[in-house]
Amino acid sequence: MGFTDTQAELLHQTVSKAAGSAAAQQTLSALTTLFVLGLNPSSVLKVLEKCPELHHINESQLNQRINNLRKLGLVEGSLQRVVAHYPQILTVPVKRIKTVVLFIREKCLFTVQQVAEILRDSPAVVQEDLDQLEYKFQYVYFRMGVKQAEMVKSKLFRFSLEEVRCRHCFLERRGLYQTPDKKGQTLTENPKLSQILHLDLETYLADVARATAEEYDTFGKMIEREWKEEVWRERDMGAD
Amino acid sequence: TKWATSLPRYPATNMALQYFDATCSLQLGQLWPSVRCSLLSERKYGALLNNFSDHQAVMSDLQDQGCWDFVSATQVEAERSELKRSHGGNRESSPLSLSANIKCFVFPRGDITRFKSARPDQYRLLGYYLLDAASILPCLALDVQEGHSVLDLCAAPGGKTLALLQTQAIRFLSVNDSSVARTSRVKNVLHSFVPKHLLSTDRLRVTSFDGTHWSAFERDTYDRVLVDVPCTTDRHSATEEDNNIFSKIRTGERKRLPQLQMDLLLAGIKAARPGGEVVYSTCSLSQLQNQYVVQQALHLARQEGIHLEVVSLQPLVHMLSGTFNFAPDLLLGEMVVPHLTANFGPIYMCRLRRLC
Ligand SMILES: C[S@@+](CC[C@H](N)C(=O)[O-])C[C@H]1O[C@@H](n2cnc3c(N)ncnc32)[C@H](O)[C@@H]1O
Repeated sequence: MGFTDTQAELLHQTVSKAAGSAAAQQTLSALTTLFVLGLNPSSVLKVLEKCPELHHINESQLNQRINNLRKLGLVEGSLQRVVAHYPQILTVPVKRIKTVVLFIREKCLFTVQQVAEILRDSPAVVQEDLDQLEYKFQYVYFRMGVKQAEMVKSKLFRFSLEEVRCRHCFLERRGLYQTPDKKGQTLTENPKLSQILHLDLETYLADVARATAEEYDTFGKMIEREWKEEVWRERDMGAD
Repeated sequence: TKWATSLPRYPATNMALQYFDATCSLQLGQLWPSVRCSLLSERKYGALLNNFSDHQAVMSDLQDQGCWDFVSATQVEAERSELKRSHGGNRESSPLSLSANIKCFVFPRGDITRFKSARPDQYRLLGYYLLDAASILPCLALDVQEGHSVLDLCAAPGGKTLALLQTQAIRFLSVNDSSVARTSRVKNVLHSFVPKHLLSTDRLRVTSFDGTHWSAFERDTYDRVLVDVPCTTDRHSATEEDNNIFSKIRTGERKRLPQLQMDLLLAGIKAARPGGEVVYSTCSLSQLQNQYVVQQALHLARQEGIHLEVVSLQPLVHMLSGTFNFAPDLLLGEMVVPHLTANFGPIYMCRLRRLC
């Protein structure tokens, strides 16, 4: 199969750790599937290390899941990269993935093509809580005035709601970000979503927010408390 | 949906922010985004210790929580450096003595812990009063000395009155606020913090007069006068719809503020004795309500034969710059500007001495 000695040794250990012969059989089938997918030995090893649950999934299920991802538009190359990067995607049942995809398309109005890009760039969405996902989408769409295409381009779904909100609110309070009006206009130009999300903290602070790390650090603590209390208030209002 | 709040179409807070964006960005330049963000984020409090209560336990409790009294800490530091200087033999300026009895506890920079509300002691006096720690500064700037008579011209709800009383140096304190309802709030505060025998009429008087007409009643009287005027209360205006002076119906009132402020300051100046001192203060960043009002009042006072000098607050600023952020390079007076790590203020103050 083209393993080096050490790799073979490691694999042997992995397989024999799986107690009982049925488990060993399944590990082999997971291995086979991953090879057929075209991953090289060292990637296969890494994938199994990252996601030991794969040992317990049978071959036909794995193949079903992989085919489903193909159908959703993950072309060769991307598919392998996604699996290598986020093997957990193969532990998610087809039904769940279909639900998420439908949700993204119908609730957030992304196109088929955009959904494929989202799966490629941020496969972990398939395991995200759908309410959270919807809230994050709505936050960026309505509060920040960003359209779907730009969300996809800036790989929004890689970031947690808290990260997005914290960086955005900081800019907004500093007067450096405005929610566009109905015509999509603002008095000053907003920074792009990717500038807000992708820059490392130091560069974001220096170039976009023009603030000190000390300020941002305190802001983070404050805003976290603010949000917590907002949630409590909403809960209290709902409870009576 | 969760994000869509039912705000009015043109919320007063928006009007306020628009106004601040236009004026403060000119005035504060690069500082403005940082100040803006601070105004819109949770403010920081200070706990003014009540010396009249059973305060030893309260004090150590506050210290255990990790806060410290910025007034005495500053005082010790200043004395130490003064000692060094006098040893060096070139003793130019007299040290600024802070009224050492005023104690105000704050959490360190960047610490956002909140104070619990104060509890009454066995005599039903509360252990501390929570306020914007920067609002202690005008009281410190007033530099009350033993035996002084003091006028607090716009006193309600009474935070600064209480701080002034903490000095325990005042022979007679005159407390005024034109609003009857708000004056009764000052009375409530005093009764919750100060023992009855210190509130007797020979020591303290509470009135509800229009301060602009004070001179019809008393002139050339007080050693110290605090003129803490009504203003646009910038932090409140940027964050609360309730009672917001930027709401449409209050436009007239807002436009008349600088005139009212100047009238009050002038009245305060006339109430001070020659040689006495006046501190003018606001909780606004606006030049129109700060420097311009002082300049205008100085000018008008001169026309009436009253001469004043501006007393530098630089020593105070120097001593307190570890706790507060001050605006650089003001022409007249000093101003605490909010900063996320020390989210106090805004507080503007200017100290004047009446020459004749
Ligand atoms: C900024 S507040 C004072 C805060 C107070 N010094 C404290 O530290 O708690 C201004 C006060 O001025 C009062 N005021 C408004 N117009 C006045 C006038 N013409 N004469 C006297 N007081 C006035 C208001 O009722 C208000 O209570």
